[in-house]
Amino acid sequence: MVALGPAPAPRRSAQRTWLWGALLAVPTAWMVAFFVISMVIVVLLPFGRTTNDGFPVFSTSLDNYRALWNDVYLELFVRSVLYALATVVLSALIAYPTAYAIALHGGRYKNALIAAVVVPFFASYLIRMYAWKALLSDDGLVNSGLRGSGLGDGIAFLNTPWAVIGGLVYGFVVFMILPIYASLERLDVSLVEAGKDLYHGPVRTFFSVTLPATRYGLYGGALLVFLPALGDFVSAQLLGGAGTYMMGNLVQQQFNEGQNWPLGSAMTVGMMAALTALMVAYLRATSTQARET
Amino acid sequence: MTPAPGHDHPRCTRRGLLTGGLAVGASLSLPGCAYIRDDAPTDTPPPPSAKAEIDGDLVYFNWADYLAPSVLKGFQKEYGVRVIESNYDSMEGMYAKLAAGNRYDIVFPIAKWVQRLRKEGKLRAIEPDELQNADQVFYSGSYFNDPWYDEGSQVSVPFTVYKTGIGWRTDKVSSMTGSWEDLWNEEARGRVFTLDDQDEALAMAALLLGYDVNTSKPSELEEIKKLLISQKQYLRAYSSDDINNMVAGDAWVHHMWSGDFLYLRQGLAEDPDAFDFEAPREGVPINSDAYAIPTDAEHPGTAMVFIDYLLRPENAIKNMNYLYYPFPVRDALPAFAELADAVPACNVEVSDLENENVFRLLGSDEVQRRAAVWTEVKAS
Repeated sequence: MVALGPAPAPRRSAQRTWLWGALLAVPTAWMVAFFVISMVIVVLLPFGRTTNDGFPVFSTSLDNYRALWNDVYLELFVRSVLYALATVVLSALIAYPTAYAIALHGGRYKNALIAAVVVPFFASYLIRMYAWKALLSDDGLVNSGLRGSGLGDGIAFLNTPWAVIGGLVYGFVVFMILPIYASLERLDVSLVEAGKDLYHGPVRTFFSVTLPATRYGLYGGALLVFLPALGDFVSAQLLGGAGTYMMGNLVQQQFNEGQNWPLGSAMTVGMMAALTALMVAYLRATSTQARET
Repeated sequence: MTPAPGHDHPRCTRRGLLTGGLAVGASLSLPGCAYIRDDAPTDTPPPPSAKAEIDGDLVYFNWADYLAPSVLKGFQKEYGVRVIESNYDSMEGMYAKLAAGNRYDIVFPIAKWVQRLRKEGKLRAIEPDELQNADQVFYSGSYFNDPWYDEGSQVSVPFTVYKTGIGWRTDKVSSMTGSWEDLWNEEARGRVFTLDDQDEALAMAALLLGYDVNTSKPSELEEIKKLLISQKQYLRAYSSDDINNMVAGDAWVHHMWSGDFLYLRQGLAEDPDAFDFEAPREGVPINSDAYAIPTDAEHPGTAMVFIDYLLRPENAIKNMNYLYYPFPVRDALPAFAELADAVPACNVEVSDLENENVFRLLGSDEVQRRAAVWTEVKAS
C-alpha cells in the first residue's frame, strides 16, 4: 500500500482571512458585551454590599464569599446534587430505550418520532410544570382516575421530593434523548451482528457492544441534564414541599425578597466553581478513556 | 369577551404570579444591572401634577389580570385612546423596569413601594382637585388623606386594600380556633400551606409571639425562626398559589389573602360552604395598593383621566366583582360588604387600616436579617 500523506491544505488568501476576522468581530463583540462583562459583574458583585436603600454597590469586602461556608447552604447543595443525580439516572432509564427504539426501529418514521419528542419542549418549562401540578394534585386527573377506578383513595404526589425530581426529569429528559439518539444513529450495526455471531445473546450483546459504543452520547446527555437540574428552581417551587428547597431557590430568593444581590452572586459563583470542578473531572476522565481505547 | 364573575377556569392570580410566575421577571431584569449605582436617593418634592386631559395612549403597567377587562375596554371606548398593557410579576420586577428607564404612564405599587418610589423622586404629584371623583377616596376624615406610606397623599391614590388570614375547608377540618395557631392544626397535618412570602410568613409568627410584624431584632427573629421551623411538620409546602392549592384539594388549611379567598369561594368553588376564612385574633397584616404616575410618564394627563375613571363608583364595583378585592371608594363600599356578606372576615374596614400591622419600608440590613431567617426556615 502506498502511504498517503495529509492532503495539502488550500492556502487561504489574506483577503479571506480578513473576511473571517470581520465576520468574527460581531459575535465576539456580542459575547464580550453580554457574556463576559455580565460574568465579570457576577464575580465582582460579591465583594460589594447593599446600600441601606436596597441598591447593590461594588466594594472590597470578603463577607459574602465567606458567608458561603454555612451548614444550611452546604445541606442545600448536597440535596440539590442528589436530586440532580436522581434526575440523571431516571432520565437515562427513560431516554435510552426511547432513543434506541427510534434510532433502530423507527424506520422511515424516525424523523417524525424525534420531532414528536422535541415539539412538546417548545412549550415553556413553566407552563409544563403548571400542567403537572394540575395533573398530580389531590383532586387532579390522576387521582380522580385512581379513585374512579377503585384503586384506592388517591396518592399525595405533589409537594414531595419525587414530584420535584419528576418535574426535573420531565423538564430536561429531551437533552438526554437527543445525544443518545445521535450516537445510536452512528452505531455501526455490523458490530452488533458480530456480537451475535460470537454467540452473545441480545442482552449480552447490548451490554458488551451497543452500550459501550454509545457511551459518549450517554455521558453528554448526563451532563446536559445534570447542569440545568442542579440550578433549577421552578420545579422545587411549583411541585416541591416544605422540605425540598434547592440551591436555585436559595439564589433566587437573594435576588428577590432577600434584597441581597451580592450574596446571591456569591452563591452563583460558588455553584459555578463547584460545577466547573465537576466538569473538569468529567472531561479528564473521558479524555483518559479516549486515549486508552 | 369579558370573563364574568363566576367564570370557572382557574385564573392565574397576581398573587399566584407573585411567586408562581416566579423570578422570571426578576431574572430577566438581572442582566440589566442598570441600577447598580451609588447616588443616595433624594427627598425632593415631586414634580407638579398633570392636568386630567387626554394627552395620548395610556402606557399601563400592572400585575397580570388585575383590573376588570370590561373597565379597561370602557375607558378606551369613552376616551378614544388605546391602553398599551405590560405586566410585572413582583414589585422588585416593577421597580427594576422603572429604574432602568422604561417609561410608563401608570403603575400600581404596594404601599411600601409607594414610599420608596416617592423617596427616590420617581413619582409625579397627583392633585386631587384635578379629579372629579376624588371625593370618593379623599373625603373628610378618610384614612387615605394622609396614609403612612405617602404623607399628605401627594403622589398616590388608593386602589385596593386587603388583609392576610387563614382559609380552610369546612368539610375536612372542624377544629379551627380563630388563632394563627390554626396553621399548626392537627387535623390538617400535612395539608397546611404557608404563603411563600418572606414578609407574610415572618409576620404570622411575629403576631403569634406578640411582636411587630416588621421586627428585625435578632432575638425576636430567632424565636420566629424556631416557631416557623416547628410548623414544618404540619406543612405541605410554602406556596403563594393559594387559590389553586385550595381548588385542587391539596390544601385544607391555607395562609391566604382575603381577596383570593373571596374569589375562591364566590367565584370558583362548586360548594361555597365548604370554604371559610378567619382573621386571627392576634391581629392580621393589612396592606394596600395604590395608583401612581411615574415622573417620566409620557402621557400623565391620560393617566389622570384613567385614575378618575377608575374612581367612579360603578367602575370600582365592576372591578370588585372581578377581582374580589375591596376598593376604598366610598359609594362602592356597600356593594363590597354585600359581596363579602357570607364571609365578613374578608371585608376590610377603615378601622382595620388604622392598625399597626402594615409592612413598612425597611433598611437593607433589616431586610437581609429577616431574609436570613426566612432562608434558614425554608432550607431546614
